[in-house]
Amino acid sequence: MLKLQNINRRFGDKLAVKNVNLSIASGEMVGVIGQSGAGKSTLLRMINQLIATSDGAIEFDGTKVSSLKGADLRNWQRDCAMIFQQFNLVPRLDVLTNVMLGRLNRRNTFSSLIKSFTEEEQLEALEALERLSIAQTALQRAGTLSGGQQQRVAIARALMQQPKMILADEPIASLDPRNAKVVMDSLKAINEDDGITVITNLHTLDTARNYCERIIGMAHGEVVFDGPPEALTTEVARRIYGAEGLKDAFSESMTSTSLEDDNETPAQKRRGPYRDADEAHVTLN
Amino acid sequence: MGAVSQSSPPKLSDATKKVHQHYQELARTKKLYSFLTIGILGAILVAALWFANASNSGKFIDRIPYFFDFVLNFLPDDPLEIFRALFDLPSPYADGSLKYDYEEGRHYLFGDFYLPEYFYEMLVTLNIAFVSTLLGGGIAFVLCFFAASNLVGSKAVRFVVRRIMELLRAFPEIVIAGLLAAILSLGPIAAIAAVSIHTIGALGKLFFEVVENADMKPDEGLRAAGASWVERVRFAIVPQVLPNFTSYALLRAEINVRASTIIGAVGGGGIGEVFRLSLSRDHAAKTYAIILLLFVTIVAVDQLSGWLRRKMVGDQAFQFGA
Repeated sequence: MLKLQNINRRFGDKLAVKNVNLSIASGEMVGVIGQSGAGKSTLLRMINQLIATSDGAIEFDGTKVSSLKGADLRNWQRDCAMIFQQFNLVPRLDVLTNVMLGRLNRRNTFSSLIKSFTEEEQLEALEALERLSIAQTALQRAGTLSGGQQQRVAIARALMQQPKMILADEPIASLDPRNAKVVMDSLKAINEDDGITVITNLHTLDTARNYCERIIGMAHGEVVFDGPPEALTTEVARRIYGAEGLKDAFSESMTSTSLEDDNETPAQKRRGPYRDADEAHVTLN
Repeated sequence: MGAVSQSSPPKLSDATKKVHQHYQELARTKKLYSFLTIGILGAILVAALWFANASNSGKFIDRIPYFFDFVLNFLPDDPLEIFRALFDLPSPYADGSLKYDYEEGRHYLFGDFYLPEYFYEMLVTLNIAFVSTLLGGGIAFVLCFFAASNLVGSKAVRFVVRRIMELLRAFPEIVIAGLLAAILSLGPIAAIAAVSIHTIGALGKLFFEVVENADMKPDEGLRAAGASWVERVRFAIVPQVLPNFTSYALLRAEINVRASTIIGAVGGGGIGEVFRLSLSRDHAAKTYAIILLLFVTIVAVDQLSGWLRRKMVGDQAFQFGA
């Protein structure tokens, strides 16, 4: 159980996140929506403690995460893996090493520094990559992959952390619809199969509706909606996006994940991307 | 934890197993090369140190007991003499010799107000460094864009510009100063020319490497808008590279302060020249006064350049985290 109590975050004299109170149960799939600048990213980064909170407390299973330091803080960061809009991989290292870097927190620093990973870790990393259908890219430099492939490498790295929670900050905002769907399907599958909590920032309504069982709407740093997708009426959406932004939110939805055939069942939708791995990019050197 | 857990042995497809085999082969080769490289470098280092020691006139180990002899025998009459020498105050030990003629060096500015000799000489040195950093940096700034492979397609142009830069930085400042002194006569002008020439070569190389690392997307954007080469350099490249250029130029300014001090010792004027004189004449108080002044100046220049870099590059570059 993740609890946020009266969270504020100031940047200079600007209040980016205002008095946020939330509790998120283990295993939930939560979508955070809102316009850019609404404080979604800041909120996610505070959970991972990439950014410190200005006021308030973040608790996870009774531990006050927001006041952790040193090794305890790094252990928490390992437990809540983060996925970024721009993937944040190491472009010059090969894919497999990138994935194994997810293990850094659990390993001896010296053996990590000389890049000495055990056979077991290599196999686990490959398994994670295989699960995301990109095992064949394992020996390429991460920087040479397409955006969708890079984001899947990032997810594999997150899995390697053996996290309790995955935080995804606009994971599909830089991707084309097909890859966006692959990435969202992967996150959903991880949530359902492994029981890992997933909290993801999205700026489009339909993606959040399709994938999340709970939606949190933010506007101007405040939580203005918190409920199931069914409760997200046009009226509420207008509160989240403003009268101007609402049109964008719907039009942008056309370019997000709404590519699939409506006749498919949700389960088929999810299995889709695993079925048709990116054959075009398969290279075995 | 499903698929990614340590308890259940992972089951990989045959294709992935092949990838794994390949990875292990690559890793083994890399490891072998790393060990070989480290071993060879280590052997070379040991051999080089042995050679250096063997060609030394006295043996290093044998000389260690005499390490402090110079400092012990080279002492001023009393510690206050250092400050009298530094601020050109009359010495109680004055006997008409050059050793105690501190007041002689005063540079009167107006009335009784004077600039002590060593402060004046320090200014001469700082001036050499400042002028040659500006001159050399300016010319390097213009040249560097013609040496960058992402901006200039013609191999011939790049080749010529790069060789010019290499030639300019091939000789140490002190050698150039020696050559130029024959033409420009001894003094700060020869020093400025020498340090500037070396600065063009050294900064030019650093600058064009920064340019080659620039992101070319803005350039593509402006090219698509019909901008000329000069316009693209001005608006797509310069804004990106300027912070790095500033850092390198300020680092070069610090190096040039030291370089112009050394040039002074071979006749380039400034603090280096008076330092060499006082040292060779066995004037301990003067020598320590100059060492003190040099130390304070170099710390001050470092601080100043750090502050300037902060101002010019912007604070956000120094902030921790996001």
